Amino acid sequence: MAYQKVAIVGAGITKFVRRAQETGKELAFQASKMALDSCGMTIDDIESVSLGTAPDAFDGVHMKGEYLSDGSGGWRKPYMRQFVGGGTGVFAPIHGWLHVASGMFDTCLVVCSEKMSSCYPHPQGAFKTIFDHTTEQALDPTLIWIFALEMNRFMSTYGITKEEIAQVSVKNKKNAMDHPAAQLPMEITVDDVMNSETLAWPVNRLDISPASDGAAAIVLASEHASKRITDKPVWIDGVGWNLDTAYWATRDLSYPRYVEKAARMAYDMAGVVEPKREIEIAEPYDPFDYKELHHMEGLQLADRGKAVEMLLDGVTQRDGDRPMCPSGGALGVGNPIAATGLMKVIEIFLQLRGEAGKRQVPGSPRCGLAQAWGDLMQVGTVVVLRR
Amino acid sequence: MGLTERINKTDKLSYYEGQIPIEYVYTYGLGLEKFFRAIKDQGKFLASTCKECGVTYLPARSFCERCLVKIEGTTAVPGTGTVYSYTTVHLNMDESPKKEPALVALIDMDGTDCRFLHYLTGVKADKVKVGMKVKPALKAKKDRKGHIEDIVGFQPS
Ligand SMILES: [Zn+2]
Repeated sequence: MAYQKVAIVGAGITKFVRRAQETGKELAFQASKMALDSCGMTIDDIESVSLGTAPDAFDGVHMKGEYLSDGSGGWRKPYMRQFVGGGTGVFAPIHGWLHVASGMFDTCLVVCSEKMSSCYPHPQGAFKTIFDHTTEQALDPTLIWIFALEMNRFMSTYGITKEEIAQVSVKNKKNAMDHPAAQLPMEITVDDVMNSETLAWPVNRLDISPASDGAAAIVLASEHASKRITDKPVWIDGVGWNLDTAYWATRDLSYPRYVEKAARMAYDMAGVVEPKREIEIAEPYDPFDYKELHHMEGLQLADRGKAVEMLLDGVTQRDGDRPMCPSGGALGVGNPIAATGLMKVIEIFLQLRGEAGKRQVPGSPRCGLAQAWGDLMQVGTVVVLRR
Repeated sequence: MGLTERINKTDKLSYYEGQIPIEYVYTYGLGLEKFFRAIKDQGKFLASTCKECGVTYLPARSFCERCLVKIEGTTAVPGTGTVYSYTTVHLNMDESPKKEPALVALIDMDGTDCRFLHYLTGVKADKVKVGMKVKPALKAKKDRKGHIEDIVGFQPS
C-alpha cells in the first residue's frame, strides 16, 4: 500500500449534557486538551487539524469551522472543517487519516464539537432546512418523519416488531451506565420503551437519542512518529465513505446500501474478507434503536433482516460474542451530532487497548469498527481499527 | 438527533438571545417549474425520463443525477401509486401535541422510479396498510397556486 500507516495515539471526551455552560469553543478546547494530555503531547507537536462539526444553524454562526478553530488548536495551522451531518464524527477522522496517510503530515489532531442547545426552542427548526424547500418543507416535516417511515418499512419488510427493536434501547442505555461521559444512562425495560410517548408511530420517546452538547478529540500519528508517543498504537487500517441520492424518499429504506458501499471500501483497504468473523466489536451508529440493526446489516455484520436475531440471542450484549455499542451509543451516551461518531471511534480505540474500564469487553479483541450516518440520512462513514 | 426535550430552564445559566434576520425566495428551477405549472393549470403530474438509463423521475427533473446528462421533455403519469411506508405523526414542529395525529406516507408513484412524501386523507390510521393503492386529491382549480400544497394528500383508490 502506498499510504503511511496511521495510528490513533490519544483520545479525550467531555461529558455529554443537554445544555452545557461551556461554549462550543470551550467544549472543543476541553476535548483537545484531554486528547493531547492523554499521550503526553502539546499543540506544538501537532502538524494539522481536522475539525468536525454539524450544521452552522445549530449555532447561528455561518462559519462554524473558523468559529471553533481556536478551541480546536487550529491557530496558524493547516486546518480543515468536515461536515456530513450525523456522519461527521467518523468523516473527520477519515480526513485526519488522509492528512497523515498521504505523507503530508506526521501528526493530526481530530476534534469534533457540537453545541445543539443554543437552538431555541429546539434544534428541530434547524433540521427542517435539510428537507427540499419546494417539495417537502411546506408539509412541515420533522426529522422524526423520516425515521418513522424508515423504521416502519424495516419492520414491514422483515416482520420485526417494536418490542424486539426496543431491546436495542434497553441494552445501550444500560451499557451507558458505565460511561463517565453519558447523558442518558438508565436501566429500563421493553415495557418502558413501549409505554413512552408516541412521537410518530412506530417511534416512541425512548426509541431515540437525546439532543446534546459535547466534544471529543483524538490524536493521529504516522508509524514512525507514533513510536515516540506510545507503545500501544491502534491502527486505522481501513476507511470508507459513500453518499446515496439526496432524494431520500426514493431510496430503499429497508437496507442502507450507502453503508454497505462505505464498509466494503474500508474492508477492502483493511484486508477484511469475512466481516462477520473478523470484526469482533463494533459501534454502529444508533441515534434510533432500529438503526443499530439496520446498520449492522449494511455493515455486513448480519444478514438482511437477521440482526434482530443476534440481538435477541444476546450476541450483541457487551459480554456477548459480537458486542455492539458497548459504549452505550448515541442512545445512552448522548448525541451531540458530530461528537457522537468520534465518541464511537474512541470507544473502539479504548476497547482494543484494553482500557475501557468497566465497559471492557471480554476476549481481548484485535479488530473493530466505528460507523456513522447522516446528511439527509444517506451518507455512510466507516473506519476499521486494529491493534 | 433526539427531538424530544424543549429547553425551558435557562435560569441557572447566563445567556443572551440572537436571531438570523433572513427570509428566502426560491425559484422552482427548470424541472420543477414545468411540474408545478401542470399541477396548477391541468391537474396533471409530469415526469421526465433519462434517455441514457431509462430512470423516470417525478417530479420532472432537468438532468439525471446518475448519468449526469440533460433530460429533455416530460410525460404525464397518472399520479396514482402504492403506499411504501407510513407513520402517524403526533407532535407539531414545536413539540406541542397535534389535536389529531396526522397520517404521512411515502408513495411509490405509478409509471415512475420515484416516491412522493405526502399526507394520507380520507382514511383512518388503523385501515392504512403498506401496499395500499392510493390516488391524489387536488384542490379545486381556482384554489391551486402551483405549490406542493395544491395536492391535499393521497386517498385510497
Ligand atoms: Zn440517467
